[in-house]
Amino acid sequence: MTLPDAKSLVDYAKSLDCIHCGLCLQSCPTFRLTGAESSSPRGRIHLMRAIGEERVEPNAAYGEELEFCLLCRHCESVCPAGVRFGPMMESARASYESVRPSGFLRRQLRSFGFRRLLPGRIALRLFGSFLRAVQVLGLDRIAFLVLGERGRDLVHLPRIAPLSARRLLPETIEAKVENGQEAAVGFLEGCVMPELFPHVNRAAANSLAALGARVHTPRGIVCCGSLHAHNGDLEGARMLARKLIEGFEPIKGGDGEAAPIVIHSAGCGAHMRELFELFEADDPWHARATAFAARVTDFTQYVAPLLAARTDVELDEGALEGPVTWDDPCHLCHAQGVREEPRDILARLVPNRRVELEGSENCCGSAGIYSLLRPADSRAVFEPKRAALERSGARTLVTANPGCQLQWQTGLRRAGSSVRVLHLAELVERALSRARSGRAGQQGHSAQQDA
Amino acid sequence: MDTKLVAALRAVVGERGLIDDPTRLLPYESDGLAMLAVRPPLVLLPRTTAEVARCMQLLAEYGVSIVARGAGTGLAGGATPVADGVVLSTARMRDVLEVNVEDRFARVQAGVVNVDLSGLCQAHGLAYAPDPSSQMACTIGGNVANNSGGPHCFKYGATTRHILGLVIVTHDGEILDLSEPVVDPDGYDLVGLFVGSEGTFGVATEVTVRLVPAAPVVEVQLAIFADLDAACDSVSEIIKQRLEPSALEILDKLTIEAVEDSVFAAGYPREAEAVLLIEVEGVETEVNGIAREIRTILEARGALEIRTARDATQRKKLWAGRKGAFGAMGRIAPDLYVADAVVPRTKLRDLVRRTIEICRERDLRLANVFHAGDGNLHPNICYDRRDPDEVRRVLAAGHAILEACVEAGGALTGEHGVGLEKLAEMELLFTADDLAAMCRVREAWDPERRLNPGKLLPMHACLEIRTAALPPAPTSLDT
Ligand SMILES: Cc1cc2nc3c(=O)[nH]c(=O)nc-3n(C[C@H](O)[C@H](O)[C@H](O)COP(=O)(O)OP(=O)(O)OC[C@H]3O[C@@H](n4cnc5c(N)ncnc54)[C@H](O)[C@@H]3O)c2cc1C
Ligand code: SF4
Ligand code: SF4
Repeated sequence: MTLPDAKSLVDYAKSLDCIHCGLCLQSCPTFRLTGAESSSPRGRIHLMRAIGEERVEPNAAYGEELEFCLLCRHCESVCPAGVRFGPMMESARASYESVRPSGFLRRQLRSFGFRRLLPGRIALRLFGSFLRAVQVLGLDRIAFLVLGERGRDLVHLPRIAPLSARRLLPETIEAKVENGQEAAVGFLEGCVMPELFPHVNRAAANSLAALGARVHTPRGIVCCGSLHAHNGDLEGARMLARKLIEGFEPIKGGDGEAAPIVIHSAGCGAHMRELFELFEADDPWHARATAFAARVTDFTQYVAPLLAARTDVELDEGALEGPVTWDDPCHLCHAQGVREEPRDILARLVPNRRVELEGSENCCGSAGIYSLLRPADSRAVFEPKRAALERSGARTLVTANPGCQLQWQTGLRRAGSSVRVLHLAELVERALSRARSGRAGQQGHSAQQDA
Repeated sequence: MDTKLVAALRAVVGERGLIDDPTRLLPYESDGLAMLAVRPPLVLLPRTTAEVARCMQLLAEYGVSIVARGAGTGLAGGATPVADGVVLSTARMRDVLEVNVEDRFARVQAGVVNVDLSGLCQAHGLAYAPDPSSQMACTIGGNVANNSGGPHCFKYGATTRHILGLVIVTHDGEILDLSEPVVDPDGYDLVGLFVGSEGTFGVATEVTVRLVPAAPVVEVQLAIFADLDAACDSVSEIIKQRLEPSALEILDKLTIEAVEDSVFAAGYPREAEAVLLIEVEGVETEVNGIAREIRTILEARGALEIRTARDATQRKKLWAGRKGAFGAMGRIAPDLYVADAVVPRTKLRDLVRRTIEICRERDLRLANVFHAGDGNLHPNICYDRRDPDEVRRVLAAGHAILEACVEAGGALTGEHGVGLEKLAEMELLFTADDLAAMCRVREAWDPERRLNPGKLLPMHACLEIRTAALPPAPTSLDT
């Protein structure tokens, strides 16, 4: 095999931005875990740069350091030199994928996962039903016999709802407005969300409608491609990005302006905000991706000012037990710089019960499919988070990313903890539907909350 | 490296406590001074004093050199490895062993990160005063070894004033427990001697630090100047008037621009030629009084604008820009050389000018950011380590700056240490006799010269006093 040009194996130009100051070391979960500088942001960049300078081969040890990284991007939040670690790691992984020795089984699994399962709604639906069947039959308890370490957490997974409860969102949900001011937003259901957290999807969409937006969920758009980009399949990510752009371009508000795209999964949002990174500057898709990216906003950013303007929104006392805390998803705080809005929303909904979580900006170890690929590391990263939660005394933990939600639910169940884990959208919907029913004299709400 | 030794070391520190894969060793080749790089053959990551001691015994048996390493944020090459010695990292020694609120001290493992210790004290209304700008990453052990300073050391003094005790593992693996937190030890003050020894006397494994009560009122003033001289003169004047703020820092225009483009953007005005950051702390009346007098001086010196902040978030933001300054400069050039020299505070203005001239003559970009209160200059020179000519010019400029400072009655290092970077300059400041005396002290701690060899003292100066019986010190750098 002839090796490609060493500089093309990494984003060499970006690696030069790092001045080796080391200020990022302590932010990195894998460095904190091991104390090894090769597993730190500075160390990884040092290796990438060395690859570009042909001082080291893209060997297995290098590959291992790339894969050990959670791509949490905490290092970016603290780097004074403005090193863009995320895109750098994505391209390093993609190139490494092209030179690594890869077994037949691994290639088949990757191709199935990234090219068939994630982008295909039917495949995902089948997978969801399969998982449910496994749970109903109690096979999850013995899954580790076949899957080894990876199968051990299956029992702690939240229950998959029956297909009837996993129905997809309608293509449009009309705005619930009283004074005629109507906005439009684009909405993404996502790949695994409709299978694992269909109620969260509904909660987010219903909240947007209740706050006066007509919610468009384009048919046929499934996965945003962030998992592909994070895991070295940039071509797959590009393919999905083009579909994404085409699907959302026609969605416009009443004024003919492109409507904002509201994302309630921080991982997807972060990727979509940087969609242009996938295309070379002279590619016509680059401009379209840039325009697309500018429309993307997080659910919490969209909702916070609207909620602040309302006086009738408040959570019923009985809705939640005890103190409530917020855990920042990495791809919200580090990749998108969103920190205040979720806190503002919570302060609004549960005014006197909010407690801060120590180290809330540290990664929980979910990291997309990392928890699946490296279960032991993922658990080790999770452990200090769990300990911090215990110290905080919170009885409910709120987050805004399906991966984090899953990681917390699984991890807390494993630890025998009864702390409840919710997506912020679930609380917002509950509060809004209470406000509405209060006004209209109706009863009940549709939030189906997971305990 | 001898395979039997490696196996024995592995048995002490475990699989995760040892790195010998050449790829994974590469990131250890430099510290914060990236122009010097030596890939070590082995890195050890022990967790306890006992493990360190056992490792050091084995290394003594085999006659292998040891370079201690904290976070590798040092800027003078102090933690640059040597080609045939091991790196002993404290990155897995980060337990806080004791916080004694009543007696106001804390005992921590050497690998505890400065900011973690500060955070811990805060909850008790106490503070660990030395606050290097690298505090979010650097270790207490590294701070001890370099006698590090920080903006607040203007009032509180550098690290050495805050270390009450140490546990040291000596060259042959003996554990020397000097951790009784007493004010005045019997016999020689070995703790005081060890602080600032840059890893040449032994490896510190535990540190007992003094904690001070946090001030009830803190005010930060940011004065904006249309010229750098006026900012320097204000500092000289504040010192002359015997006013005692807790910190006095100057940032010049290039630094301001870099900071404002970074995640540490603090709202410094880009059109300013210099900003002066001042912190005053104490009780309400005291702070009000000092702040008022300082304001008068600033106004007299032509400050365009003075901003003040008392609430914690605002203060933190003003400070963030200063703390992130060095890193933010990375936006301007691939690498950055941070010189570190001390000048008499009355000559601040002239020497700052001189640094500007020195860099202009050599066609180098310079940004000045410094602990003005201490007269501690940090000329930041931009370069690219891939350009050998530029590297040469940078080193020459560094040398010229130090020369100028020493000539003016200053010192070689304010806080970053000598390391490898300033070996040659040691001879500017010290005579052969001075250096020989220092070598004798060093040899009392490390007779075989296996502890951070080649650093801090120029090798030939030591060689002259060496007895012929000793083997030559291992070093791989021509310095
Ligand atoms: C952005 C930036 C800003 C900085 N700002 C400041 C500042 O304001 N003030 C300041 O003083 N410095 C500053 N520095 C320099 C540096 O951070 C300090 O010198 C710091 O104390 C080094 O700590 P470290 O843990 O990184 O040690 P390292 O760099 O790993 O080591 C430094 C020296 O200490 C020795 N050593 C480390 N641990 C031990 C131990 N346990 N026992 C014995 N010897 C040991 C090493 O052998 C080496 O000689 C800055 C550096 C950077 C990158
Ligand atoms: S903080 Fe930024 S510049 Fe400094 S070592 Fe880390 S990545 Fe490099
Ligand atoms: S992305 Fe996260 S895990 Fe990866 S190097 Fe940065 S801080 Fe470490």
